Amino acid sequence: MAVVQAILDGLMIGGVYAVISIGLTLVFGVMGIVNFAQAEFLMLGMFVAYFAWAWLGLDPLLAAPLAFAVVFALGAALQRLLIRRVMKAPEVAQIFLTVGLLIVLENAALLMFGSGFRSVTTPYQTSSLQLGPLFVSVPYLAAFAMSVASGLALFLFMKSSWFGRAMRATAQDPMAAKLMGINADRMHMLAFALGVGLTAFGGAVILPYLTASPTVGAQFVVLMFTVVVLGGLGSVAGAVVGGLAVGVIQSLSALAFPIQLQNLVLFVVFIAVLALRPKGLLGAAR
Amino acid sequence: MNTSSTRLVALFALLAIAVVLPFAFDPRGYAIRILCLALLFAAMAQAWNIVAGLANQVSLGHAAFFGIGAYTSTLLLIHFGLSPWLGMIAGAVLGGLAALLISLPTMRLRGHYFALATLAFGEVMRVIANSWGGLTGGPVGISVPFAPPDLAMLQFKETRPYYWLMLAALVLVTTIFLAIKRSRLGYRLRAIKENADAAEVIGVDTTRTKIVAAVISGMITACLGTLYAQFQFFFDPDTVFGVASVSVRMAMIAIVGGIGTAAGPILGAFFVIPLEEFANQIFSAQAAGLSQLVFGLLLIAVILIEPRGFMAIGPRLKRLLAREKADG
Repeated sequence: MAVVQAILDGLMIGGVYAVISIGLTLVFGVMGIVNFAQAEFLMLGMFVAYFAWAWLGLDPLLAAPLAFAVVFALGAALQRLLIRRVMKAPEVAQIFLTVGLLIVLENAALLMFGSGFRSVTTPYQTSSLQLGPLFVSVPYLAAFAMSVASGLALFLFMKSSWFGRAMRATAQDPMAAKLMGINADRMHMLAFALGVGLTAFGGAVILPYLTASPTVGAQFVVLMFTVVVLGGLGSVAGAVVGGLAVGVIQSLSALAFPIQLQNLVLFVVFIAVLALRPKGLLGAAR
Repeated sequence: MNTSSTRLVALFALLAIAVVLPFAFDPRGYAIRILCLALLFAAMAQAWNIVAGLANQVSLGHAAFFGIGAYTSTLLLIHFGLSPWLGMIAGAVLGGLAALLISLPTMRLRGHYFALATLAFGEVMRVIANSWGGLTGGPVGISVPFAPPDLAMLQFKETRPYYWLMLAALVLVTTIFLAIKRSRLGYRLRAIKENADAAEVIGVDTTRTKIVAAVISGMITACLGTLYAQFQFFFDPDTVFGVASVSVRMAMIAIVGGIGTAAGPILGAFFVIPLEEFANQIFSAQAAGLSQLVFGLLLIAVILIEPRGFMAIGPRLKRLLAREKADG
């Protein structure tokens, strides 16, 4: 039974992993850039939600759209000011620009918010639902539901809106998209803003069960990359599968190993996938 | 005198100045320690340069080898009283093995994928060092036991001998870098950098070439980790296995100076390390994170302004002057 419970917990956490990683995979899929700073936007989302709770009394789940909006705007500005300028640069420049951004965001947060840990209190924090012999923690379930909702919203946006289709066209062939009258530059900006905004949204919905701190991003770096590599870098559907898989792997490995070594198990999976199926388990869907 | 012998004379003059430089500083002071760190980081960036600069395989995980070197020699010294020189050799062997281990599955990866894989490797080493407290002492860190000051035990009372040791290390690593660059291995690496598929077609065993370079680079980095441990006397997993504190810093120094060039890491280190220490001195009293912030901003600025670093400034000026002349 412990195993079934672990799988259930893993799926719940995995849903959130999927959403935060969709942001990363979206940026890569459309722009061809791996954003090493992505996890820092999760941290920013957590802080937006934290202050919305502390100052306005807003529940983190309700503050999640706000976190999305704030980080969306920040992402658009950063893309305009920085990322756009290395779009055609060698990979070394692309890698170290986002690495530099990671360092700047983490330490700017450290300066602004201090190094302490902050957590919110919600009425449902410790409650859980019973399903026969199984328990579902309410904060996990709420975060999962919010993640599914945002994932569906993104799916609809990408599938049926003009912007979504234009963005996918840009991802497939920037030149052809330009010839069809799509402003590829603007699509890149939209993709980056949307990508980091989604990750921030994921950060907000996990705040009820995780404490926020300027260095919280470090916990998620290897995890997010495992998710997207597992699903295939650039594939949104892959990120969903990868997110759920990583959630379950993590949850199951917690049964067998001490908690500190969970990242080690993830890493072994990560390297194995990179070595054996570098395009991801689902193949090369972009 | 032709240009190459002029350069040789200039090089020896520079080296002579570097050797006597510590006499200009207070032997127990702070400035000479910064010089030591700059020399050490220059050597580390040079080691990174072998793989990243020549073959364009950008590693974000060299801290793994550095930490292995630091922990191996220190643990051997603590438990068996083994001289750090022997510990350094043991660390180099382990560092080389680690490089081999991570290279086998990742060497077919390029660009972003390779950077990701190496980043994860470094992070995992940090996690292991933090959680395997029985071996490493865990997050509280580990101290190098004091021994009577002696070259054989790689411990000195004053800072000057460390300075010369690190200068020697830098000269050695730079020589290795240049030797590789001019050897067949170097040509193969550059062929991979230009076009890996084309290199494969003309008969370069790209996987083997990259692994050889990675192992050399990993071994050197591990040796430098031992030097660092003996110099600092105390370290913890987050300092020697850190992404920002080691992996990115090595890379950044090489990039700031000029990636792929022999002088680049040296120029970079003597710019970045003193600047960071300076920022630490001014800001650290006020708030944690400010000097790191400066570090990150600097990295972004260099990438945006001149991703080829200081070494590109000279040719740029020359071209500018030539154009002026042509116009005038």
